[in-house]
Amino acid sequence: MAFDLFLGCVIPARLPYLEVSSRKIFEKLGIDLRDVDGFSCCPDPTGIEQIDHNTWLALGARNLSLSNNNGGIISFCSGCVETLKGVNYYINKDLTVKKEVNRYLERIDKVYEGKTEVKHFAQVLYENIDKVKEKIEKPLEGFKVAIHYGCHYLRPSEIIEWDDPFEPTTIDEIVNVLGAESVDYDLKMECCGNPVEKSDKELSLTMIDNKLKAIYEAGANCVVVVCPACYQQFEFNQRELNKQKGSQYNIPIFYLSELVAIAFGFKPDELGFNFHRIKPNVLFESIGFEV
Amino acid sequence: MSVINFDFRNEVINHNASLSYCYQCSTCSGGCPVALLTNGKYNPRKIIEEAILGLQEKLVESQDPNPWLCSTCQKCVELCPQKVELTEIFTLIKNKCFEKGKIPEAFSAQAQAVLENGIAIPYSKAILTRREKLKLPQVKTASLEEIKSLLKETNFEKNLMREGG
Repeated sequence: MAFDLFLGCVIPARLPYLEVSSRKIFEKLGIDLRDVDGFSCCPDPTGIEQIDHNTWLALGARNLSLSNNNGGIISFCSGCVETLKGVNYYINKDLTVKKEVNRYLERIDKVYEGKTEVKHFAQVLYENIDKVKEKIEKPLEGFKVAIHYGCHYLRPSEIIEWDDPFEPTTIDEIVNVLGAESVDYDLKMECCGNPVEKSDKELSLTMIDNKLKAIYEAGANCVVVVCPACYQQFEFNQRELNKQKGSQYNIPIFYLSELVAIAFGFKPDELGFNFHRIKPNVLFESIGFEV
Repeated sequence: MSVINFDFRNEVINHNASLSYCYQCSTCSGGCPVALLTNGKYNPRKIIEEAILGLQEKLVESQDPNPWLCSTCQKCVELCPQKVELTEIFTLIKNKCFEKGKIPEAFSAQAQAVLENGIAIPYSKAILTRREKLKLPQVKTASLEEIKSLLKETNFEKNLMREGG
Protein backbone atom coordinates (compact mmCIF):
# COMPACT_ATOMS: atom_id res chain seq x y z
CA MET A 1 0.00 0.00 0.00
CA ALA A 2 1.38 3.42 -0.94
CA PHE A 3 0.28 7.03 -0.80
CA ASP A 4 1.66 10.38 -1.91
CA LEU A 5 2.29 12.40 1.23
CA PHE A 6 0.82 15.90 1.30
CA LEU A 7 2.52 17.68 4.21
CA GLY A 8 0.91 21.11 4.02
CA CYS A 9 2.36 24.05 5.97
CA VAL A 10 1.67 23.97 9.72
CA ILE A 11 3.09 20.54 10.57
CA PRO A 12 6.35 20.57 8.57
CA ALA A 13 7.12 24.27 9.06
CA ARG A 14 6.00 24.80 12.64
CA LEU A 15 5.38 21.46 14.38
CA PRO A 16 7.85 19.07 12.70
CA TYR A 17 7.88 16.76 15.73
CA LEU A 18 4.30 15.77 14.84
CA GLU A 19 5.58 14.72 11.42
CA VAL A 20 8.09 12.39 13.08
CA SER A 21 5.52 10.18 14.82
CA SER A 22 3.25 10.27 11.78
CA ARG A 23 5.97 9.00 9.45
CA LYS A 24 7.20 6.38 11.92
CA ILE A 25 3.86 4.70 12.50
CA PHE A 26 3.15 4.25 8.80
CA GLU A 27 6.62 2.86 8.24
CA LYS A 28 5.97 0.38 11.04
CA LEU A 29 2.65 -0.56 9.44
CA GLY A 30 4.36 -1.19 6.11
CA ILE A 31 2.40 1.57 4.42
CA ASP A 32 4.62 3.51 2.08
CA LEU A 33 4.35 7.33 2.19
CA ARG A 34 6.13 8.93 -0.73
CA ASP A 35 7.37 12.52 -0.69
CA VAL A 36 6.39 14.58 -3.69
CA ASP A 37 8.27 17.69 -4.78
CA GLY A 38 6.45 20.85 -5.72
CA PHE A 39 3.37 21.08 -3.52
CA SER A 40 2.20 24.54 -2.43
CA CYS A 41 -0.09 25.49 0.47
CA CYS A 42 -3.22 23.31 0.16
CA PRO A 43 -4.53 26.23 0.54
CA ASP A 44 -6.16 26.86 3.94
CA PRO A 45 -9.94 26.31 3.83
CA THR A 46 -10.37 28.68 6.79
CA GLY A 47 -8.12 31.35 5.22
CA ILE A 48 -7.51 31.52 1.47
CA GLU A 49 -10.86 29.96 0.53
CA GLN A 50 -12.66 32.56 2.61
CA ILE A 51 -11.12 35.43 0.67
CA ASP A 52 -10.88 33.92 -2.82
CA HIS A 53 -12.67 30.71 -3.71
CA ASN A 54 -11.23 30.58 -7.26
CA THR A 55 -7.64 30.93 -6.07
CA TRP A 56 -8.33 28.19 -3.55
CA LEU A 57 -9.64 25.95 -6.35
CA ALA A 58 -6.71 26.71 -8.63
CA LEU A 59 -3.97 26.06 -6.07
CA GLY A 60 -5.75 22.97 -4.75
CA ALA A 61 -6.21 21.52 -8.24
CA ARG A 62 -2.55 22.17 -9.04
CA ASN A 63 -1.55 20.21 -5.93
CA LEU A 64 -3.89 17.35 -6.78
CA SER A 65 -2.52 17.24 -10.33
CA LEU A 66 0.97 16.45 -8.95
CA SER A 67 -0.09 13.13 -7.42
CA ASN A 68 0.95 10.00 -9.25
CA ASN A 69 -2.34 8.60 -8.16
CA ASN A 70 -1.38 5.14 -6.94
CA GLY A 71 -3.47 5.05 -3.81
CA GLY A 72 -3.88 8.82 -3.98
CA ILE A 73 -2.90 11.41 -1.39
CA ILE A 74 -2.62 11.06 2.38
CA SER A 75 -2.36 14.06 4.71
CA PHE A 76 -1.71 14.49 8.44
CA CYS A 77 -3.85 17.65 8.48
CA SER A 78 -7.64 17.93 8.51
CA GLY A 79 -7.52 21.34 6.82
CA CYS A 80 -5.48 20.02 3.89
CA VAL A 81 -7.80 17.03 3.58
CA GLU A 82 -10.87 19.27 3.54
CA THR A 83 -9.37 21.51 0.88
CA LEU A 84 -8.21 18.71 -1.40
CA LYS A 85 -11.47 16.78 -1.03
CA GLY A 86 -13.39 20.03 -1.46
CA VAL A 87 -11.62 20.93 -4.70
CA ASN A 88 -12.42 17.44 -6.03
CA TYR A 89 -16.05 17.92 -4.96
CA TYR A 90 -16.53 21.23 -6.79
CA ILE A 91 -14.69 20.08 -9.90
CA ASN A 92 -16.69 16.88 -10.19
CA LYS A 93 -20.01 18.52 -9.34
CA ASP A 94 -19.94 21.21 -12.00
CA LEU A 95 -18.39 20.94 -15.44
CA THR A 96 -18.07 24.71 -15.78
CA VAL A 97 -15.96 24.80 -12.60
CA LYS A 98 -13.75 22.03 -13.98
CA LYS A 99 -13.28 23.94 -17.23
CA GLU A 100 -12.55 27.20 -15.44
CA VAL A 101 -9.99 25.56 -13.15
CA ASN A 102 -8.28 23.91 -16.10
CA ARG A 103 -8.21 27.25 -17.90
CA TYR A 104 -6.16 28.56 -14.93
CA LEU A 105 -3.94 25.45 -14.94
CA GLU A 106 -3.31 25.70 -18.68
CA ARG A 107 -1.25 28.81 -17.94
CA ILE A 108 1.26 26.60 -16.08
CA ASP A 109 0.97 23.59 -18.43
CA LYS A 110 -1.00 21.43 -16.05
CA VAL A 111 -4.28 19.57 -16.29
CA TYR A 112 -6.48 18.15 -13.55
CA GLU A 113 -9.35 15.76 -14.20
CA GLY A 114 -10.61 15.47 -10.63
CA LYS A 115 -9.60 11.87 -10.02
CA THR A 116 -6.99 11.94 -7.23
CA GLU A 117 -8.29 10.25 -4.10
CA VAL A 118 -7.56 11.96 -0.78
CA LYS A 119 -7.44 10.42 2.69
CA HIS A 120 -6.87 11.67 6.22
CA PHE A 121 -4.20 9.69 8.07
CA ALA A 122 -6.73 8.73 10.76
CA GLN A 123 -8.92 7.23 8.04
CA VAL A 124 -6.01 5.13 6.79
CA LEU A 125 -5.29 4.01 10.37
CA TYR A 126 -8.93 3.08 10.85
CA GLU A 127 -9.03 1.15 7.60
CA ASN A 128 -5.97 -0.78 8.77
CA ILE A 129 -7.06 -1.22 12.37
CA ASP A 130 -6.19 -4.94 12.43
CA LYS A 131 -2.62 -4.15 11.41
CA VAL A 132 -2.51 -1.44 14.09
CA LYS A 133 -3.65 -3.99 16.66
CA GLU A 134 -0.88 -6.41 15.66
CA LYS A 135 1.87 -3.82 16.16
CA ILE A 136 0.96 -2.78 19.69
CA GLU A 137 3.77 -3.44 22.15
CA LYS A 138 2.74 -1.16 25.01
CA PRO A 139 -1.01 -0.83 25.57
CA LEU A 140 -1.84 2.67 26.85
CA GLU A 141 -3.10 1.68 30.27
CA GLY A 142 -4.14 4.58 32.47
CA PHE A 143 -4.60 7.01 29.58
CA LYS A 144 -7.94 8.80 29.96
CA VAL A 145 -8.23 10.49 26.62
CA ALA A 146 -10.51 13.39 25.72
CA ILE A 147 -10.88 13.03 21.97
CA HIS A 148 -11.28 16.22 19.98
CA TYR A 149 -12.41 15.22 16.49
CA GLY A 150 -12.36 18.78 15.18
CA CYS A 151 -14.77 20.12 12.59
CA HIS A 152 -12.92 19.58 9.34
CA TYR A 153 -12.24 15.89 9.92
CA LEU A 154 -16.02 15.40 9.65
CA ARG A 155 -17.83 18.27 7.98
CA PRO A 156 -19.24 19.17 5.53
CA SER A 157 -20.16 15.49 5.34
CA GLU A 158 -21.15 15.83 1.68
CA ILE A 159 -17.51 16.66 0.90
CA ILE A 160 -15.64 14.67 3.55
CA GLU A 161 -17.70 11.46 3.20
CA TRP A 162 -16.14 9.91 6.27
CA ASP A 163 -17.60 9.04 9.71
CA ASP A 164 -20.75 10.62 11.16
CA PRO A 165 -20.80 14.45 11.19
CA PHE A 166 -22.22 14.63 14.73
CA GLU A 167 -21.71 11.20 16.29
CA PRO A 168 -18.36 10.04 15.03
CA THR A 169 -16.74 6.82 16.27
CA THR A 170 -13.58 6.19 14.24
CA ILE A 171 -11.06 7.88 16.55
CA ASP A 172 -12.77 6.47 19.65
CA GLU A 173 -12.27 3.02 18.18
CA ILE A 174 -8.60 3.65 17.41
CA VAL A 175 -7.99 5.03 20.92
CA ASN A 176 -9.69 1.99 22.45
CA VAL A 177 -7.64 -0.40 20.33
CA LEU A 178 -4.49 1.26 21.72
CA GLY A 179 -5.60 0.26 25.20
CA ALA A 180 -6.55 3.77 26.29
CA GLU A 181 -9.92 4.88 27.60
CA SER A 182 -11.92 7.48 25.64
CA VAL A 183 -13.54 9.82 28.16
CA ASP A 184 -16.81 11.36 27.10
CA TYR A 185 -17.18 15.07 27.85
CA ASP A 186 -19.62 17.90 27.40
CA LEU A 187 -18.77 19.98 24.28
CA LYS A 188 -16.88 17.04 22.72
CA MET A 189 -18.24 17.97 19.31
CA GLU A 190 -17.69 21.73 19.62
CA CYS A 191 -15.20 23.71 17.54
CA CYS A 192 -11.86 24.47 19.24
CA GLY A 193 -12.09 28.11 18.10
CA ASN A 194 -8.82 28.25 16.16
CA PRO A 195 -10.22 29.70 12.89
CA VAL A 196 -11.74 32.77 14.57
CA GLU A 197 -8.38 33.70 16.06
CA LYS A 198 -7.75 35.55 12.78
CA SER A 199 -10.67 37.90 13.44
CA ASP A 200 -11.33 37.82 17.21
CA LYS A 201 -8.63 36.50 19.54
CA GLU A 202 -10.75 36.88 22.66
CA LEU A 203 -13.63 34.86 21.19
CA SER A 204 -11.18 32.18 20.13
CA LEU A 205 -9.83 31.98 23.69
CA THR A 206 -13.33 31.74 25.17
CA MET A 207 -14.11 28.79 22.91
CA ILE A 208 -11.02 26.82 23.92
CA ASP A 209 -11.47 27.81 27.57
CA ASN A 210 -14.97 26.28 27.57
CA LYS A 211 -13.69 23.07 26.00
CA LEU A 212 -10.81 22.72 28.45
CA LYS A 213 -13.16 23.30 31.40
CA ALA A 214 -15.41 20.49 30.16
CA ILE A 215 -12.42 18.19 29.63
CA TYR A 216 -11.18 18.80 33.18
CA GLU A 217 -14.64 18.24 34.60
CA ALA A 218 -14.87 14.88 32.84
CA GLY A 219 -11.62 13.72 34.46
CA ALA A 220 -9.53 13.17 31.34
CA ASN A 221 -5.74 13.21 31.76
CA CYS A 222 -4.83 14.03 28.15
CA VAL A 223 -6.33 15.27 24.89
CA VAL A 224 -5.90 13.78 21.43
CA VAL A 225 -6.33 15.71 18.18
CA VAL A 226 -5.95 14.98 14.46
CA CYS A 227 -5.47 18.52 13.11
CA PRO A 228 -2.51 20.88 13.59
CA ALA A 229 -4.77 23.94 13.94
CA CYS A 230 -6.65 22.26 16.79
CA TYR A 231 -3.31 21.11 18.23
CA GLN A 232 -1.99 24.67 18.40
CA GLN A 233 -5.24 25.94 19.83
CA PHE A 234 -5.17 23.41 22.69
CA GLU A 235 -1.43 23.36 23.34
CA PHE A 236 -0.46 27.02 22.94
CA ASN A 237 -3.37 28.65 24.75
CA GLN A 238 -3.33 26.90 28.11
CA ARG A 239 -0.59 29.12 29.49
CA GLU A 240 -2.27 32.18 27.99
CA LEU A 241 -5.56 31.33 29.69
CA ASN A 242 -3.80 30.65 33.00
CA LYS A 243 -2.21 34.08 32.80
CA GLN A 244 -5.39 35.91 31.77
CA LYS A 245 -8.03 34.10 33.76
CA GLY A 246 -6.19 32.47 36.62
CA SER A 247 -7.03 28.93 35.46
CA GLN A 248 -4.52 26.13 36.04
CA TYR A 249 -4.61 24.19 32.82
CA ASN A 250 -1.71 21.84 32.27
CA ILE A 251 -3.09 18.91 30.28
CA PRO A 252 -0.87 17.26 27.65
CA ILE A 253 -2.06 17.38 24.04
CA PHE A 254 -1.18 14.44 21.82
CA TYR A 255 -1.43 14.06 18.09
CA LEU A 256 -3.16 10.75 17.34
CA SER A 257 0.03 9.58 15.64
CA GLU A 258 1.95 10.15 18.88
CA LEU A 259 -0.40 7.95 20.89
CA VAL A 260 -0.12 5.24 18.25
CA ALA A 261 3.68 5.63 18.23
CA ILE A 262 4.11 5.13 21.98
CA ALA A 263 1.75 2.17 21.87
CA PHE A 264 3.98 0.77 19.11
CA GLY A 265 6.94 1.06 21.51
CA PHE A 266 8.68 4.16 20.15
CA LYS A 267 10.46 6.25 22.80
CA PRO A 268 9.52 9.87 23.65
CA ASP A 269 13.08 10.98 22.81
CA GLU A 270 12.95 9.69 19.25
CA LEU A 271 9.49 11.25 18.80
CA GLY A 272 10.57 14.74 19.85
CA PHE A 273 8.22 14.91 22.86
CA ASN A 274 10.60 17.46 24.40
CA PHE A 275 9.21 20.01 21.92
CA HIS A 276 5.77 19.88 23.52
CA ARG A 277 5.02 22.93 25.65
CA ILE A 278 3.12 20.78 28.12
CA LYS A 279 5.47 17.91 28.76
CA PRO A 280 3.87 14.47 28.47
CA ASN A 281 6.39 12.84 30.84
CA VAL A 282 4.54 14.34 33.83
CA LEU A 283 1.51 12.26 32.79
CA PHE A 284 3.61 9.13 32.17
CA GLU A 285 5.02 9.39 35.69
CA SER A 286 1.68 10.09 37.35
CA ILE A 287 0.01 7.02 35.85
CA GLY A 288 3.08 4.81 36.11
CA PHE A 289 3.46 4.36 32.36
CA GLU A 290 7.02 3.29 31.65
CA VAL A 291 8.35 4.54 28.36
CA MET B 1 -33.05 52.55 5.88
CA SER B 2 -31.45 49.48 4.32
CA VAL B 3 -31.09 49.74 0.55
CA ILE B 4 -31.67 46.73 -1.69
CA ASN B 5 -28.93 46.16 -4.26
CA PHE B 6 -30.69 44.14 -6.96
CA ASP B 7 -27.54 43.26 -8.88
CA PHE B 8 -25.96 41.91 -5.72
CA ARG B 9 -29.11 39.99 -4.85
CA ASN B 10 -29.19 38.33 -8.28
CA GLU B 11 -25.53 37.54 -8.15
CA VAL B 12 -25.82 35.72 -4.82
CA ILE B 13 -28.92 33.77 -5.89
CA ASN B 14 -27.31 32.82 -9.21
CA HIS B 15 -24.18 31.71 -7.43
CA ASN B 16 -26.07 29.51 -5.00
CA ALA B 17 -29.75 28.86 -5.57
CA SER B 18 -30.12 27.03 -2.25
CA LEU B 19 -30.44 30.48 -0.68
CA SER B 20 -34.05 30.74 -1.93
CA TYR B 21 -35.11 27.80 0.19
CA CYS B 22 -34.39 29.46 3.57
CA TYR B 23 -37.54 29.96 5.63
CA GLN B 24 -35.72 31.66 8.51
CA CYS B 25 -36.33 28.94 11.09
CA SER B 26 -33.08 29.79 12.91
CA THR B 27 -31.88 26.21 13.29
CA CYS B 28 -28.50 27.46 12.02
CA SER B 29 -28.15 30.13 14.70
CA GLY B 30 -29.40 27.76 17.40
CA GLY B 31 -26.61 25.29 16.62
CA CYS B 32 -23.89 27.86 15.98
CA PRO B 33 -21.10 27.90 18.60
CA VAL B 34 -20.16 31.48 17.71
CA ALA B 35 -23.70 32.90 17.71
CA LEU B 36 -24.05 31.45 21.20
CA LEU B 37 -21.15 33.56 22.47
CA THR B 38 -21.32 36.82 20.53
CA ASN B 39 -24.61 38.44 21.46
CA GLY B 40 -25.75 39.39 17.95
CA LYS B 41 -22.34 40.29 16.50
CA TYR B 42 -22.48 37.02 14.57
CA ASN B 43 -25.70 35.35 13.50
CA PRO B 44 -25.88 33.01 10.48
CA ARG B 45 -29.66 33.34 10.06
CA LYS B 46 -29.37 37.11 9.85
CA ILE B 47 -26.59 36.95 7.25
CA ILE B 48 -28.79 34.67 5.12
CA GLU B 49 -31.74 37.04 5.56
CA GLU B 50 -29.66 39.99 4.39
CA ALA B 51 -28.40 37.94 1.44
CA ILE B 52 -31.95 37.03 0.40
CA LEU B 53 -32.90 40.69 0.54
CA GLY B 54 -29.75 41.83 -1.30
CA LEU B 55 -28.49 44.15 1.43
CA GLN B 56 -25.01 44.52 -0.03
CA GLU B 57 -24.22 47.58 2.07
CA LYS B 58 -24.88 45.73 5.33
CA LEU B 59 -23.11 42.53 4.30
CA VAL B 60 -20.02 43.90 2.60
CA GLU B 61 -19.56 47.51 3.71
CA SER B 62 -20.64 47.57 7.35
CA GLN B 63 -20.36 43.78 7.86
CA ASP B 64 -23.23 43.61 10.32
CA PRO B 65 -23.36 40.77 11.39
CA ASN B 66 -19.66 40.18 10.88
CA PRO B 67 -19.15 37.23 8.48
CA TRP B 68 -15.48 36.90 9.53
CA LEU B 69 -16.57 35.51 12.88
CA CYS B 70 -17.79 32.27 11.26
CA SER B 71 -15.57 29.50 12.63
CA THR B 72 -16.25 27.38 9.51
CA CYS B 73 -17.32 24.49 11.77
CA GLN B 74 -19.99 23.61 9.17
CA LYS B 75 -22.59 22.66 11.75
CA CYS B 76 -25.20 24.98 10.23
CA VAL B 77 -24.83 23.29 6.85
CA GLU B 78 -25.42 19.87 8.39
CA LEU B 79 -28.37 21.05 10.48
CA CYS B 80 -30.31 23.13 7.94
CA PRO B 81 -33.67 21.44 7.25
CA GLN B 82 -33.84 23.19 3.87
CA LYS B 83 -30.32 22.19 2.78
CA VAL B 84 -29.24 25.79 2.36
CA GLU B 85 -25.49 25.79 1.70
CA LEU B 86 -24.79 28.47 4.27
CA THR B 87 -21.02 28.35 4.36
CA GLU B 88 -20.80 28.51 0.56
CA ILE B 89 -22.91 31.65 0.68
CA PHE B 90 -20.78 33.10 3.50
CA THR B 91 -17.69 32.36 1.43
CA LEU B 92 -19.14 34.31 -1.50
CA ILE B 93 -19.91 37.27 0.79
CA LYS B 94 -16.39 37.22 2.24
CA ASN B 95 -14.95 36.95 -1.28
CA LYS B 96 -16.92 40.11 -2.11
CA CYS B 97 -15.40 41.79 0.96
CA PHE B 98 -11.96 40.77 -0.33
CA GLU B 99 -12.63 42.40 -3.70
CA LYS B 100 -13.35 45.61 -1.80
CA GLY B 101 -10.27 45.28 0.36
CA LYS B 102 -12.35 44.81 3.51
CA ILE B 103 -10.80 41.81 5.22
CA PRO B 104 -9.18 41.31 8.64
CA GLU B 105 -5.43 41.84 8.68
CA ALA B 106 -4.58 38.22 9.52
CA PHE B 107 -6.27 37.01 6.33
CA SER B 108 -4.28 39.37 4.11
CA ALA B 109 -1.07 38.42 5.95
CA GLN B 110 -1.70 34.75 5.14
CA ALA B 111 -2.55 35.62 1.53
CA GLN B 112 0.66 37.64 1.22
CA ALA B 113 2.68 34.72 2.61
CA VAL B 114 1.19 32.31 0.06
CA LEU B 115 1.80 34.77 -2.75
CA GLU B 116 5.44 35.29 -1.76
CA ASN B 117 6.37 31.75 -0.68
CA GLY B 118 3.83 29.38 -2.19
CA ILE B 119 3.16 28.18 1.35
CA ALA B 120 1.42 29.89 4.27
CA ILE B 121 4.32 29.37 6.69
CA PRO B 122 7.78 29.74 5.17
CA TYR B 123 10.51 27.44 6.54
CA SER B 124 12.66 29.43 8.99
CA LYS B 125 16.33 28.59 9.55
CA ALA B 126 15.51 27.37 13.06
CA ILE B 127 12.86 24.99 11.74
CA LEU B 128 15.15 23.65 9.02
CA THR B 129 17.75 22.89 11.70
CA ARG B 130 15.12 21.26 13.87
CA ARG B 131 13.94 19.14 10.95
CA GLU B 132 17.49 17.99 10.38
CA LYS B 133 17.88 17.11 14.05
CA LEU B 134 14.65 15.13 13.90
CA LYS B 135 15.99 13.34 10.78
CA LEU B 136 13.14 14.60 8.62
CA PRO B 137 13.69 14.85 4.87
CA GLN B 138 13.95 18.15 3.02
CA VAL B 139 10.92 18.57 0.83
CA LYS B 140 10.94 20.85 -2.18
CA THR B 141 7.93 23.15 -2.28
CA ALA B 142 6.26 24.69 -5.34
CA SER B 143 8.09 26.74 -7.92
CA LEU B 144 7.33 30.38 -7.10
CA GLU B 145 7.23 31.32 -10.72
CA GLU B 146 4.48 28.79 -11.29
CA ILE B 147 2.45 29.96 -8.28
CA LYS B 148 2.78 33.60 -9.35
CA SER B 149 1.57 32.81 -12.90
CA LEU B 150 -1.37 30.86 -11.53
CA LEU B 151 -2.36 33.61 -9.08
CA LYS B 152 -2.17 36.20 -11.82
CA GLU B 153 -4.78 34.18 -13.73
CA THR B 154 -7.17 34.30 -10.75
CA ASN B 155 -6.60 38.03 -10.09
CA PHE B 156 -5.47 37.18 -6.58
CA GLU B 157 -2.56 39.59 -6.49
CA LYS B 158 -4.62 42.45 -7.88
CA ASN B 159 -7.31 41.98 -5.24
CA LEU B 160 -4.78 41.61 -2.48
CA MET B 161 -3.26 44.97 -3.39
CA ARG B 162 -6.67 46.52 -2.75
CA GLU B 163 -6.35 45.54 0.89
CA GLY B 164 -7.33 48.38 3.18
CA GLY B 165 -9.58 49.61 0.36
